[in-house]
Amino acid sequence: MELAYYILKELKKKGADDIIIAVNKSEGSQVKFSDNKVVKTGSEILVNLEIFMAKDKKVVVTSLKDFNKGEERALIPTNLDKKNADDAIKNLIRFANNVNPNKDYNGIAEGPFRYKEIKDSYDKKIIDLNEVDLMEKGINAALENSNRTNGIIEKWFNEHLLITSNNIEAEDKSTGLYFSIRAFKDKEASGHMNSCSRVLSKFEVESSGRKAGEIAKMAIKPEEGKSGKYDVIFSHMPMAALLNNIMDAASIFEVEAGLSFFADKLNKKLGNFTLIDDGSLENGFNSSKFDDEGVPAQRNIVVNNGILKTYLHNTSTAKKYRTKTTANAGLVAPNPTNIILEGKKGDVFDIKKGLYITNVWYTRYQNHLTGDFSTIPRDGIFLIENGEITKSLKNIRVSDNFLNLMKNISLVGKENKHLKSWEAEIPVVTPEVLIKNVNISKPKL
Amino acid sequence: MYEDLADFSVKQLEKLGVSYAEARLEEIKGSGYILKNGNVDISGFDKSAGLGVRFIANGTMGFFSINDLKKDKISSLIKRSFNLTKNASRIGDKVKFSEEKSVNAKYEIKQKIKVENLNPDEKIKFLLEIDKEINKKYFRYFALHDDITKTYYINNEGSKINSTIPRVSFYYFLTVLMNNKSMQRYLPYGNTGGWEVVKKWNLKDNFLSEIKALENIIKNGVKPPKGKIDVVIGPEVTGIATHESVGHPYEADRILGREAAQAGESFVNLKMIGDKIGSEIVNLVDDPVLEGSNGFYLYDDEGVKARRKILIKNGKINEFLHNRETAAELNVKSNAASRASDYNKEPLIRMSNTFVLPGDYKDEELFKDIKLGVYIKNFMEWNIDDKRFQQKYTGAEAYLIENGNVTKPVINPVLEITTPALWSSVDAIGKKIEFSAGSCGKGEPMQGIPVWFGGPHMRLRNIIMK
Repeated sequence: MELAYYILKELKKKGADDIIIAVNKSEGSQVKFSDNKVVKTGSEILVNLEIFMAKDKKVVVTSLKDFNKGEERALIPTNLDKKNADDAIKNLIRFANNVNPNKDYNGIAEGPFRYKEIKDSYDKKIIDLNEVDLMEKGINAALENSNRTNGIIEKWFNEHLLITSNNIEAEDKSTGLYFSIRAFKDKEASGHMNSCSRVLSKFEVESSGRKAGEIAKMAIKPEEGKSGKYDVIFSHMPMAALLNNIMDAASIFEVEAGLSFFADKLNKKLGNFTLIDDGSLENGFNSSKFDDEGVPAQRNIVVNNGILKTYLHNTSTAKKYRTKTTANAGLVAPNPTNIILEGKKGDVFDIKKGLYITNVWYTRYQNHLTGDFSTIPRDGIFLIENGEITKSLKNIRVSDNFLNLMKNISLVGKENKHLKSWEAEIPVVTPEVLIKNVNISKPKL
Repeated sequence: MYEDLADFSVKQLEKLGVSYAEARLEEIKGSGYILKNGNVDISGFDKSAGLGVRFIANGTMGFFSINDLKKDKISSLIKRSFNLTKNASRIGDKVKFSEEKSVNAKYEIKQKIKVENLNPDEKIKFLLEIDKEINKKYFRYFALHDDITKTYYINNEGSKINSTIPRVSFYYFLTVLMNNKSMQRYLPYGNTGGWEVVKKWNLKDNFLSEIKALENIIKNGVKPPKGKIDVVIGPEVTGIATHESVGHPYEADRILGREAAQAGESFVNLKMIGDKIGSEIVNLVDDPVLEGSNGFYLYDDEGVKARRKILIKNGKINEFLHNRETAAELNVKSNAASRASDYNKEPLIRMSNTFVLPGDYKDEELFKDIKLGVYIKNFMEWNIDDKRFQQKYTGAEAYLIENGNVTKPVINPVLEITTPALWSSVDAIGKKIEFSAGSCGKGEPMQGIPVWFGGPHMRLRNIIMK
């Protein structure tokens, strides 16, 4: 702690205008499995001290992960000594003196703030949890309907300290669990389901395994899919991936860089749904008491009943656009926290003909500004006729546009899932969603 | 460097009775700069060091990583990791490694102009110079990065390898706006070496010609012809197809199913060595020992000496990419494809520089006998399924080919095709090779690793264009 304050004081003395020092210490473990057997365990200790500094609008960041010598400390990187800190300070000032000012930089948040505890964000039971036994339960649940499984279970705990030149001192600690399982009935029939949670009691290992196995069983003997326009029910996993792309595009940084289909869409009607970014979400996998500049986490309605209400901001970008920060710092770029989708509830399977897509990967854009993209369904893909699954399909692609998809969101299912995945790094709480008139393409065979 | 801590870790694990142990110690120093629409958004520098250790206990693979480099911390992590692995071994896979020669080596890539000797303002000035001549209405995003990675590798079979690899990379994202329409392009550059490489990239000229091409497409672009036509693809498209539809499905850990959960499996199976997968003129390699390349290394992260791998020979599947684990399973030797992106990631089977070998044609000869076709010079959108069987590449800069001549620009031609169909349709290959840089993602936790992919122009016959 003393050392973080020392760096802050020294940088101030040397003329820095704004300073943020963040210290993280995390420990975690992973167990990776393939063909129902453990193929690797992983254990990690990571300590990290990050410094953000603005001096005459020159914005510089550095991260120190090389800790040598020094005393044991509880929270601060255990052995970052004063000499290393002095070197870092000297380098930072020298570096700042040699870069150009950021004309758009408008400062960091002014504290102090009061922080609320986030419910279900820390569970000490996780620290000593036997993750191998828990993982095995998930595998066995999947094997009720499938023959082999692959995936990973992870647990971590983290301590976080943040101090700034603008009267902010904040601490947080967190735990987390993540499970990902892909079940195979045969080479062409697979199902995938994930779960993430900050507390053990809400971690859905067995039900995820069971769901992955059930999808795999239904996916056997897939036939070639056909191109055309379909009403598509996107299950939780593909919705998580699509919503990651959508919420990423809400960051003002993406808008400014030409990477967002939300550019020029503020206060315009985009469809019939509500999209929320909530850094204070109970058990939210990315929830934290405060953002990267110490602003208390908050719930932002980004799209309200279809109308784009705000982009995601930090203090500096908010000042530029004469609005308030949404507590999404990210100091390089405002970032989403936890994504929540809401919409008109109903029976999403109540369609005459359509597709049920249970996972996607490889979402890529032809043009971020227009939203033209494609993504590839993987795992179970099913034809729906008169509300029932009638066939398993393969080799299709969603080739469409994000603004079209949002416009065509029709109904959402009743059950929400809390997910993150390889394709969805930002955690998502989403129901299954019926989107009308989705363009499906397929390759020349 | 803290070599003694790597040695200590291996010795401690041997005392615990592991059958195999290796340690990788990494020290990285780097700096980075972001220019957005001509404004210096943020700059930074970084220094990190860490230790990654892998071992086999009771037949199961254990791995741990730490950047709190003190003996007592490492000791307690060894204990924790060893116990977790022993506990997991009751349902563990029985890992075996192929026998390989132990190696003692030291190598360093020299920089002609050292990146660490340049002031940050010189690097920013370089970016501002590129930006200066671009229409300020267009969105521009530039990211420049340099780093130097020192690695010390040791295993309990007697290998000891030191390497020093400097690397430079640049990434741009450009949006051209005209007549209420937009076109976008992004392109990463990446090499091993110093600042002299950045100068050779010729970024300003490339950038300006790229902008002209995109403006031309917006102003004069026509829809691509439908139906069966001939297509010529440029080196960027050859490169991405090479990486996605040949490199990935030939990774033996995919074929054997180890990476099935996330990265996926492969349409290729073990019995397909020798099977025809493309036309006879297709020869395709993965080669980590290319000097200056983005995927350069002389020894992989299991201490095995790197070599060129011939993945397709005369149109037939010739060889897969192996690490010591998959090599042992198939009773062959490792071909040194094992790499980790950072000290805190396990090594996986990875590509390095993957490319189609040159053919006999001058580029202009490839177009000569095409009555109606499309030339897809480069691309934006692309993806491929998780068995690497069906893929889509949507052209960015593309042109009509009419009676042997490259004519009007074409808007977004789509090549959506299966892997065997793509490689079987190749009937002529250019002489001149070009490479693109990329960061290839695999594994969970995800690892992005620097690679090159490329090749010459290629002519594809009878393609259904969308």
